[in-house]
Amino acid sequence: MTRARFRWIAAAAVVALGLAGCNGPSIGSREPSESGAANPFSTDVSGALKTSGFNPSDEVGQSRADYAAAQLDGVSVTMDKTNFDPQKFAAQAASGQTPDLLQMDRAVVATLASKDLIIPLDQCYEAFGVEPREQYYPSLIDDVSYQGKIYGIPQFFQANALLANKRVLDEAGVAAADLDTSKPEEIVATAEKLYQEKGGNPSVIGFDGDLPGSSAMWFKVFGGAAYDETGKPTLDRPENVRALTWMKELMDAQGGYAKVKSFKDSMDVFGAGNQYVKDQVAVQTWAQWYPNVLADYKDEVSLEAVPIKDASGTPIAMAGGTAFAIPKAAKNPSAACAWAIKATSSEAWMAAADARIETVEKNKKLFTGLMTGSPVADQQIKDKYVKPTGNAEFDQVIETYYAVLSNPVTSGSSPVGQTVQQDLTNAVTVALTGEKTPEQALADAQASSLRAWDQVAK
Amino acid sequence: MAATNLGVGAPPRAAGGVGSVFRRRRRGRRPKEPYNKREALAGYLFILPWLIGFGLFTVISMTYSFGLSFTDYDLSTDVITPVGTENYRLLVDDPKVLTSLGNTFVYAVLAVPLELALALVLALLLQGARRGAGFFRVVYYLPKMTPAVATASVFLLLLNGNTGAINWFLGLFGIQGPQWLVDPAWVKPSIVIMGLWGVAGSMVILLAALQNVPRELYEAASTDGASKWSQFWRLTLPLISPTLFFLVIVNTIASLQIFDQAYLLFYRDGNSNAPDAALFFGVYLYQAAFQQFNFGLAAAMAWLLFVIILAITAVQIKLGDKLVYYEGGDRR
Repeated sequence: MTRARFRWIAAAAVVALGLAGCNGPSIGSREPSESGAANPFSTDVSGALKTSGFNPSDEVGQSRADYAAAQLDGVSVTMDKTNFDPQKFAAQAASGQTPDLLQMDRAVVATLASKDLIIPLDQCYEAFGVEPREQYYPSLIDDVSYQGKIYGIPQFFQANALLANKRVLDEAGVAAADLDTSKPEEIVATAEKLYQEKGGNPSVIGFDGDLPGSSAMWFKVFGGAAYDETGKPTLDRPENVRALTWMKELMDAQGGYAKVKSFKDSMDVFGAGNQYVKDQVAVQTWAQWYPNVLADYKDEVSLEAVPIKDASGTPIAMAGGTAFAIPKAAKNPSAACAWAIKATSSEAWMAAADARIETVEKNKKLFTGLMTGSPVADQQIKDKYVKPTGNAEFDQVIETYYAVLSNPVTSGSSPVGQTVQQDLTNAVTVALTGEKTPEQALADAQASSLRAWDQVAK
Repeated sequence: MAATNLGVGAPPRAAGGVGSVFRRRRRGRRPKEPYNKREALAGYLFILPWLIGFGLFTVISMTYSFGLSFTDYDLSTDVITPVGTENYRLLVDDPKVLTSLGNTFVYAVLAVPLELALALVLALLLQGARRGAGFFRVVYYLPKMTPAVATASVFLLLLNGNTGAINWFLGLFGIQGPQWLVDPAWVKPSIVIMGLWGVAGSMVILLAALQNVPRELYEAASTDGASKWSQFWRLTLPLISPTLFFLVIVNTIASLQIFDQAYLLFYRDGNSNAPDAALFFGVYLYQAAFQQFNFGLAAAMAWLLFVIILAITAVQIKLGDKLVYYEGGDRR
């Protein structure tokens, strides 16, 4: 039953429509295309290509876009540079006017895949001779896979690490070696030692675990996870409960979550008065891009990076990021595939690194690395451009962020990923504010996520 | 509430004819209006553009969405599968629906009286202004013109529990301000405070109503020795009660559909930074549609909210008949 026909029936007999059973074959609908023996993606591309969500706002993005465009003769590229908006995409999909290529958060890929709104890209990789688990970090391929097929081409992998303020640590007599996340009880004690307050409000945060945003990462540290291999939510695992209990202890040792959060919200994170310049934090959890921000104030900060380790003491690398995907209704999927493969190739990333170095040298700044999502490109860039900066502390920070990439960990992939993330964030918040116990909070979150899962699974 | 007799006499009744709204009604029947076909046709022609737009963009959309609420719509294949009342059953089984409705009601109960009270205070101040009245009207209306995103960004700073200006101001009086954006008990009041920023719309309407109150009534009241408060309570409020009634209805409907402020304050990063206290029905509906892509369920939620708003509005109208004073005699 087409939407147009339904509109007339609905106007005339809504109730009858609600009771009628009509499961006949759809007429004029957009049937899923079956992939036959031939590869649906061609390397001989031409025509118009519309992208959406990719914004080449800096030299890294622009150089990659330029490289991809130069490789694709005969393809004219039009870019919608606004962020991916699911509401806009739903309207585009309903009208059959989707772009050819989307850039979106990796957490959204499985949701769209489960709704059959984007197409598998295994044959896209194959057409260009790319082995996805070699060219990209395997954990990132896992992040964009659904039911055994790959639906995205990932980019960027800026893993988290602990970024310590050496001045505050030295003042409290704490060494970076004390920041061992494989011993979480000691972290709480260290946080309490580093924490300071004035007038009943925090003046120095001892240990900021970036909660609730990085909760899933802390679940991994404790051996837990937000979903299983199939994407089914597993929020109420005992390991997750232990992790959340630890998070609550960590916050309570530092004046409570509410005060810590309010203090963090008031920080000038990107400016000259940032929390590392003003010594408002001792240790924070940051992705690799943040040292690049602090590099502008290299003479005013004193840093040391420490890997985040799991329970076995192994450093782990976990991060969100984006990926390219091709809508089912894309008019030029071959060109979309070609563009995305080229824009995330080692050559494109090297062009981006060249452009970044040019900017860094022109502005006399530090090059803090470029974490591309491709181990091949990362190594090439590191070999060519990561050299001593003259600032030993920043050299140590850069080296640490590169070192953790040797053990990438997947965030997981689920058709109800966004709902799970929402429920997880809610659970962490209500547990940290004391509204519910960690166990109850995660149990409620699991129930909510399972309801969404059951909707998808039926 | 009826106006107290202040010795002025009943409102004058016009002679009959076209101004028949002042004609005494016959017992048990509404007075008949003479029907002028030409005038009626002209009226309909004037409102025709609106009618067309209403039909195209509202009636058809509402009918379609009602039908959609009984289906499972597959966006990728454009196939609609009727599922009967399954979506409505899911709403009944989902505890978050009750949570979000509860949050929405509490917000409406807090927001509507506060916003109207503040709007009325501002309107009274503006009415009393002589010099610079135009300037003050502009200044009071300016906040309404601020984009919602900018307002939310500012309020994130103002409502900060440690360093925000609101708690700093409370601190001047020795009051320890709460953690507005984190403490579940204060999440909804924080959104109400942000909503007060946009009361200028109601203020303008109330100002017009205040300016329509006949001056001679106040003069007569003063002559009779009525105090300012007595004049306000027994003259002003009854005579602007139809406008207040209208604003109560409109603001209640708007409050029950709250989305912008809650989304911008707590869901801006794609994740909630507050507990379930910040989950409003409009936000949950949005998540059902554009996170889960479950349009049938989202349509069912929309219609549930519609029915609830309809019921509340019906109750308000029933109460309004008893409490609102209409000039020109009884309404019935």
